Amino acid sequence: MTQVSQLLRPPLLEVSHVVKSYDRAKPALNDVSFSVRTGEFVSVIGPSGAGKSTLLRCINRMTEVTGGEVHFEGVSVGKLNRKELKRLRSKIGMIFQHYALVDRLTVIENVLHGRLGSKSTLAGALGRYSRDEKQQAMDVIAMLGLSEHVYQRCDRLSGGQKQRVGIGRALVQDPKMILCDEPIASLDPNASRIIMDHLKAFSRTMHITLIVNLHQVDVALKYSDRILGVNNGRLVFNGGPDELCPERIAEIYGTDTAARQEFPRPGRAPEDELCQLTSSSNVATRAYSSLQSWAR
Amino acid sequence: MRGPETLSGSDRLTGDAIFPAPRLPVKPLTREIIVIRLLLAVLAVTTVYALTTIDYGSTDLGQAVADTLLNLKIIFLHPGSPRLSFSTALYEVVITLGLAFLSTLFGAVIALFLGLLGAQNLAPMLVTNVVKAFVAFIRAVPTILWVLIFAVTAGLGATAAVIGMTFHSISYLTKAYAESFEDLDRSVIEALKASGANWGQIVFQAVIPSSSTFLLSWTFLRFEINFANAVAMGAAAGASGVGFDLFMASSYYFDLREVGLITYIILAFAMALETVATTMKSRIKDHV
Repeated sequence: MTQVSQLLRPPLLEVSHVVKSYDRAKPALNDVSFSVRTGEFVSVIGPSGAGKSTLLRCINRMTEVTGGEVHFEGVSVGKLNRKELKRLRSKIGMIFQHYALVDRLTVIENVLHGRLGSKSTLAGALGRYSRDEKQQAMDVIAMLGLSEHVYQRCDRLSGGQKQRVGIGRALVQDPKMILCDEPIASLDPNASRIIMDHLKAFSRTMHITLIVNLHQVDVALKYSDRILGVNNGRLVFNGGPDELCPERIAEIYGTDTAARQEFPRPGRAPEDELCQLTSSSNVATRAYSSLQSWAR
Repeated sequence: MRGPETLSGSDRLTGDAIFPAPRLPVKPLTREIIVIRLLLAVLAVTTVYALTTIDYGSTDLGQAVADTLLNLKIIFLHPGSPRLSFSTALYEVVITLGLAFLSTLFGAVIALFLGLLGAQNLAPMLVTNVVKAFVAFIRAVPTILWVLIFAVTAGLGATAAVIGMTFHSISYLTKAYAESFEDLDRSVIEALKASGANWGQIVFQAVIPSSSTFLLSWTFLRFEINFANAVAMGAAAGASGVGFDLFMASSYYFDLREVGLITYIILAFAMALETVATTMKSRIKDHV
């Protein structure tokens, strides 16, 4: 029943024919179109410099598109004025590879920064938060397992803890959607799994839509409802994780034939497939083996 | 027969025949290096020439050096004054401190806003360029000149001194503050912008908290510079304070012992300031 109503409603996010070029030479994004439904977990994979970050930043207009349109909740993002854009951005959380926290401030202060978008300039600048907002921040911090660090300065935290603070900051926005730009690229496998599990939980239990840029194909396969493959500014794959065969991975990563020849002899898949893939040269090979382990 | 261990590195290349090792310059001999060396040589020659041919008039060089040393001895080894009581001296130093404090305070408040407009990560390129050019112009004019310019409207005295020193403090602190703000990671500003925060909120919630220790240490440094400036302004612009006493003692009473006493008082206060500033800085670093 909910499935049917989901299909009838317009998609939460619709990206249509988006082009972005920084200079005339080569567009960073070339005619990219896709749509995302509420509560979907979408991963964006592709080699470095393929345009994944640009794609994400075009959605909340941190980067202005050169052509095409982005619709969020049926509203064209490109036509919003400053005030409307501020309101739009307060509905979309964002998480970064290097956390982007104010190191000198405490965990709760950083989490409360997520509320700034929905406050008046003066109250925000002075840091006057209401009791409800502070309670909400406390709840989010507790949910992320950081209760004992509430009043600790962020430069004293580990990478995984910092990223959880970054997630907390996005969550107190009450976002409809969270954009994650390489959220686990600087983290160890264990911390990565904690972060990814949290993100997955948000999409399942809170119906927050997630768009996650990833370097690790195996992680994308394990967590996503849908995967977008970007190469050279073009969307070359758009489908479920089960449709992502080794040939498509090779296509997304533009792997040469030498790497492709290694496919017919996959070794035993590693037990813990998370974060096994870092080098993009033989990423397709390794992704294939992890695909097997995932399918088991 | 010679063993291989007696061969040096450059000999080995040439086999048995022993040639002197060619020079191996670390830096290539470019045009610039030749020009710089020539310039230094010319400067050295002219300096020596000027010193040997200078016209000393009727001054006996040995006698002059001996007299200077004697004066220095009176100044530094026999300080004291029949005119200046301890309480008056203290009062005058407090006036000088007041001049320095006021000009630092005014300068810091104005520079905080100019610094925000002068930081490349917070303001558009055009604005930062205008602010930086304006500030560079102020800095290019010496403090004493600003004081004399404002003496036209405010009259020679403390008011002109404070306004003039404020001008220079603004330019110095704006540059220092703007560079402290620019040190902040761009991604932090982006992250807050992406969550819908506006400029004022980002500045007061992220930029200033992140750079507060830098701001404070630059301000302390400027306060110390302003203290030294305030002494000079007391003498040169009649801004009262201990500088004016120093001026009177040396130019009107010719009282070398009083000059010495005032110098020691200024030195003591400068050291006290330095100590206070250092302890405050370390405390801020630990607790903020």
